[in-house]
Amino acid sequence: MDFDLEDLVNVEQTFYEDGYKDGFAHGRIHGLIEGRALGREKGFEMWEELGFYEGFALMWKAILDAQGAQDERAQNHIRHLLELIQQFPRVNPSTAVAENEAAGSSSELDIPRLFRQIRSRYKVFCAALGIRPTLRAADNSSSSPDREAMHDDLSGTDMEPTPSSTDRVKPERRKVWALHNPRADNVQGGGTELNF
Amino acid sequence: MDDEEFWGNDPKALQNTEWEKISNDFTNAGYREGITAGKEGALQEGFDDGFASVGAPLGRDLGILRGLSSALLAFLSRAPGPPSIATDPRVAEVRAIATELSNVRLSDIAPPDLQALAHAREHLDGEGRDRDARMDDEDDVTDPAELNEALKAKRDMESLEDLMAQMGGVIEGAGADARLKPARPTAEDVARLKERLLAIARELGLGIAVQWS
Repeated sequence: MDFDLEDLVNVEQTFYEDGYKDGFAHGRIHGLIEGRALGREKGFEMWEELGFYEGFALMWKAILDAQGAQDERAQNHIRHLLELIQQFPRVNPSTAVAENEAAGSSSELDIPRLFRQIRSRYKVFCAALGIRPTLRAADNSSSSPDREAMHDDLSGTDMEPTPSSTDRVKPERRKVWALHNPRADNVQGGGTELNF
Repeated sequence: MDDEEFWGNDPKALQNTEWEKISNDFTNAGYREGITAGKEGALQEGFDDGFASVGAPLGRDLGILRGLSSALLAFLSRAPGPPSIATDPRVAEVRAIATELSNVRLSDIAPPDLQALAHAREHLDGEGRDRDARMDDEDDVTDPAELNEALKAKRDMESLEDLMAQMGGVIEGAGADARLKPARPTAEDVARLKERLLAIARELGLGIAVQWS
């Protein structure tokens, strides 16, 4: 009798594990699909803004070159702006930062700070040209003058995780968000802007 | 099997149904737990993939186009010079390009998620029918807005924008056609805008060195 019971328990365990394995494989597909949809959205959002600054700088560079203008200051702004954008990772910044740290790289990758530098460099450049910056950059300056707020801008309340299924998965999901890494919260107060 | 047979004096049949019930209960319980674990484990991987392979490159290229046209428009419209500049048709052309570019959304130009399409087909084919019975909620995986609340909120906002744009069209006295859903721009449209913009830049003797994604 004892033997039978134990056998039954094992059999239940086997059923459970078989089901778990199938469910895991199926859940994985759904996780990949949902994660991909979110990642597309976030990557698009970030790089659309960065790309704007890049295109803006490139066009002005072409204009100044064509005019043969000896505007050192403007050229300087353009060069710095393009350099900063060049440093911005084209993959999920959180992952890039994690990998950077794992690799023990000496060069620190501080994404929120880099984003702030790019935005302010763009605005300074606009001011030098006597052009009004785009609404997007203007909004950011007025609504979030300090570092912390700027960081909030990046992590984006609009893209705050809102799990589609249940609340219990929320804590784990936070790490999906591009800039919700703990380091990002510790960067305020580090260095001044534009001190490259 | 009918009731007669089921309740007949066949202990074997009863045993088998008991057995099946146990089997199903435990398999289903495992399946549910597995789904949640598998999904959570894969979200980050999917996120990184979508960010790097679609979101960032498409966003960057579109952003660059917007930046190029914005700068060119600013340059052309403020250029001091003969009055002919002000009426330069190229100003209107660049402005039109900029306006069209500003209307483009990710959903207009993003390629479909092939895995989502394939998986949806699997569901339809019934291959995963018994599995579906164990899924609490089965959304349309090919529609991003069905996957996630944040994405749904964004789509709702875009629908509202569409609606307002339509109303604007009607007020301007457009015909019945205006009430039809306006056509969304496509990736091909964006490519054409890019060509037009670069052609104008060339005409003006501007050499732009863009490294497209």
